[in-house]
Amino acid sequence: MTERIARLKAYLENREHRKNRRCLTEEELAVILPQIRDTSLSYMERNTLRLRLFLEMETPVLLPDTHVFGLRTIEHFPDIYSEEELNEIKKTHYVHEKGKVTNLAWAVEAVLIEGLEGRRNRLLSGKREDAEFVRLGGETIDMVEAFADRYATAMKAAGFAEEGAALSRAIRTGAHTMAEAFQVFRILHFAIWASDCYHNTVGRFDQWLYPFYRHDIDAGIETRESALEKIEDFFLSFNWDSDLYYSLAWGDNGQSLVLGGLLPDGSCGVNEVTELALIAAREVRQIDPKVNLRVDKNTPIALYELATELTKIGLGFPQYANDDVVIPCLEYWGYAPEDARNYAIAACWEFIVPEVAMDIPNVNGLSMAETVRETIIGHLAECDNIDALMEYVRDAIHTRLTSMASVFKNLHLEPAPLLSLLMRDCADQGRDISTGAKYNNIGFHGTGLSCAADQLAAVDSMIFKTGRITKERLLHSMATDFAADGELKHLLRNEADKMGRDDAANEIGNRLLHFFADAAQGLTNERGGIVRVGTGSAMYYVWHSRDLGATADGRAAGEYLPCNFSPSLFLTNSGPLSVLLGFSPDALKRTSNGGPMTLELHDTVFREEASVHKVAELVRAYILAGGHQLQLNAVNAEKLRAAQLEPEKYQELIVRVWGWSGHFVELDKCYQDQVLSRVEYKQI
Amino acid sequence: MTGRIFAIEEFAVFDGPGIRVNVFFKGCPLRCRWCHNPEGLSGNRQVVHSPNGCMNCGACREVCTSPDACVLCGKCITACPRGLVRFAGDDWESEALAKRILRLKPILQHGGGVTYSGGEVLMQPDFLCEMLDKTAELHRAVETCGHGRAEDFARMLARVEFVYFDLKVMDAEKHRYYTGVSNERILANAEVLMHSGVEHIFRVPFIHDVNTDDDNLQHMARFLAKSPVTPQIEFLAYNNMAGAKYPLAGLTYNETFEQPYPEDIERAKRWLGDYKISFRK
Repeated sequence: MTERIARLKAYLENREHRKNRRCLTEEELAVILPQIRDTSLSYMERNTLRLRLFLEMETPVLLPDTHVFGLRTIEHFPDIYSEEELNEIKKTHYVHEKGKVTNLAWAVEAVLIEGLEGRRNRLLSGKREDAEFVRLGGETIDMVEAFADRYATAMKAAGFAEEGAALSRAIRTGAHTMAEAFQVFRILHFAIWASDCYHNTVGRFDQWLYPFYRHDIDAGIETRESALEKIEDFFLSFNWDSDLYYSLAWGDNGQSLVLGGLLPDGSCGVNEVTELALIAAREVRQIDPKVNLRVDKNTPIALYELATELTKIGLGFPQYANDDVVIPCLEYWGYAPEDARNYAIAACWEFIVPEVAMDIPNVNGLSMAETVRETIIGHLAECDNIDALMEYVRDAIHTRLTSMASVFKNLHLEPAPLLSLLMRDCADQGRDISTGAKYNNIGFHGTGLSCAADQLAAVDSMIFKTGRITKERLLHSMATDFAADGELKHLLRNEADKMGRDDAANEIGNRLLHFFADAAQGLTNERGGIVRVGTGSAMYYVWHSRDLGATADGRAAGEYLPCNFSPSLFLTNSGPLSVLLGFSPDALKRTSNGGPMTLELHDTVFREEASVHKVAELVRAYILAGGHQLQLNAVNAEKLRAAQLEPEKYQELIVRVWGWSGHFVELDKCYQDQVLSRVEYKQI
Repeated sequence: MTGRIFAIEEFAVFDGPGIRVNVFFKGCPLRCRWCHNPEGLSGNRQVVHSPNGCMNCGACREVCTSPDACVLCGKCITACPRGLVRFAGDDWESEALAKRILRLKPILQHGGGVTYSGGEVLMQPDFLCEMLDKTAELHRAVETCGHGRAEDFARMLARVEFVYFDLKVMDAEKHRYYTGVSNERILANAEVLMHSGVEHIFRVPFIHDVNTDDDNLQHMARFLAKSPVTPQIEFLAYNNMAGAKYPLAGLTYNETFEQPYPEDIERAKRWLGDYKISFRK
């Protein structure tokens, strides 16, 4: 890391930049609110007006030591809806989360190359399907260019005349160099957040940057070292405003980027930027941007090793995605091969297709654990073997998913003219992305899969196969939370079959995923899209565990479910190898909506150089075994416990929570405790 | 046949090449005063209590019918509301244990393998040989203190690809003082190993003022000079956490050993620098 980047990093971590922020005054709000909440205007007009006011009221600030300018100064800008208005809309429409366009990956490379004037040309010469969109799209381009010009003016005044002039040109007609690309991206990323879209991703970073990198290296403008410095500067910029972005907790803001993987034509996309980005993320050591690495059976061990060096510092990324599983799964869902190969990652881990999709991959979560629990309570008495019980489970999953998907009707999405212009086809078609795109699929998580599989495996191994316990005893204990039968609880926890250790339980897990995929088959939504299902949990692992009664795997009422695609929190006599093999079922090729296998390795595992190679081998083993997505954390439970007691001493301690990393001391205690309760593998 | 195992560690990263599974045999003939695996000492099955997280609720004591001499009834294990009590030492049929290990072959076969460790593997030589035979399709390593019968050592050597062999203290009396046994048998087996053609590394737990002195290092250098191949030596710095697991096994750890000083390491390099030596913290 250069001295400049070290200074910049310290400045960020000391939060000195926040002194530039302000709240809107009552007077300002009195001017803004009547305009953006004027119900005589269309939603698209209100969105555009809001963005105009926001950008116009922003003050350009040039922080010291950075060359990537763009700092948000207004802490909070009001929504176009009042709470009452949104509630009214919800009465007749399906509103996902906040009713905004989120979790998309825009056409970064194309936009950076042709500039906003290129988008305007498409808008004006295209199909012009929606006249309002064409009009407001043009206005949006004007206001973003004007905003960039204000920054350019400030840059000139601060002695960055050349860079300022370059920004004014590049935002209009395209960037030529890495520096220009980063500056234009920053302005656009800033404006997208200001337009009230959220979970704004970074896309395939090494792919969109590479043409600029190559140009600069070939032209002698940059060296590898200076390029690394620029990437680090750029990465730090994702953290200036991140605490102001909409999220459930600080850190969960969706600024994910993707490295590596196949290109749309099927060739390998790993390039020099892939490597530099892994190094940069390690050196700047920030929560954002979150790094995802696409790999496949041919990925060389050296790339895994470089990525493991990043894992080693404990940020909880990179998160790995396996092209050999994800691409076939996306094709199974009907994505064209070139689109499937181009996949990126949404805020957490959902696989999304950049530029051409208006998918909502996180509509809801189906509690697999609860579905199985209810089925056992309702039907165990009448079943004599596991297959008979599984049939009831299959029906229950089908019924629940169908019901959940049926809620997705009359979707209301706030128009997003700016983000639309940055997608591949909207400008050409003259239509807002909120009205749909080439793909309009919806996704559902399946939470507590291992708890579901373990419950069935317990019934099979303890009742059907061995008769060690009776159905009545199990059902009574589930109803009474094992109050009078600690022995049974112990037996179920410790001696019944478990996913991640016992083949029979692994097979049940696989069958459950196939049931989930079967249930989704044939379901469509009002936009003609399909239903995707996956292994994610998001925050549902906390929500779904709170009200869940005792389960047949020995889990007491209210105890946590494991996060995402992970084994039971009380799995014993197993280890990471058994877990990885048990969690790589073939059903993943039908259920890769996203949701990683999560593995915690004690940080002492990384003590030696040779063990970095071994961890890299471990990751590769999961990929070769057919796992779809892996999140590997270097943790130290003792340190986390100490941080709970003395948070002031551990301000910079970062952990992976579910699909994102956050500062441990700033998490709600329930998330802290869940992180602590995960199985952690250390050396004996 | 049946053997007694106190742990199976998957993804052992310090015990041989590649990704390995490490199987810990229960029972050891030595009583090294710095031992950090106290649950491996006794060959008997034991009940162990993890003190971390214990609320002192008394549930385990309430159900105990034999507080003075544990009869391994296991009632305290099921009684503990936090699952902090368990058996250390499970009896495994070799067939079942081999199946448990070979299930991981898809991962272990790429340059990794299985390591048998302990406790001391030579305390259960027949079981060890059976396990080595049953896992012959994997790369097999053992970690041994070398204190076993010559014929058992030879049987083992015929079945492994790699050996970690502990060399603790070279002087026989001093060795007895620190480990409870003389090193005569150990050094004899070490010589056999040197000439066996089996790949091996000598491991030295390196403890200030125990084996860091000139005498010991010189003695070690003289001994290793007998090797027909250049010896590999791995110095493991004494671990200050050695006592961490003693409460688990109901034992107390009162030793005050120290980690090697920088000059100890320099001294080791001086005496053994011609060999392939490495230091591990």
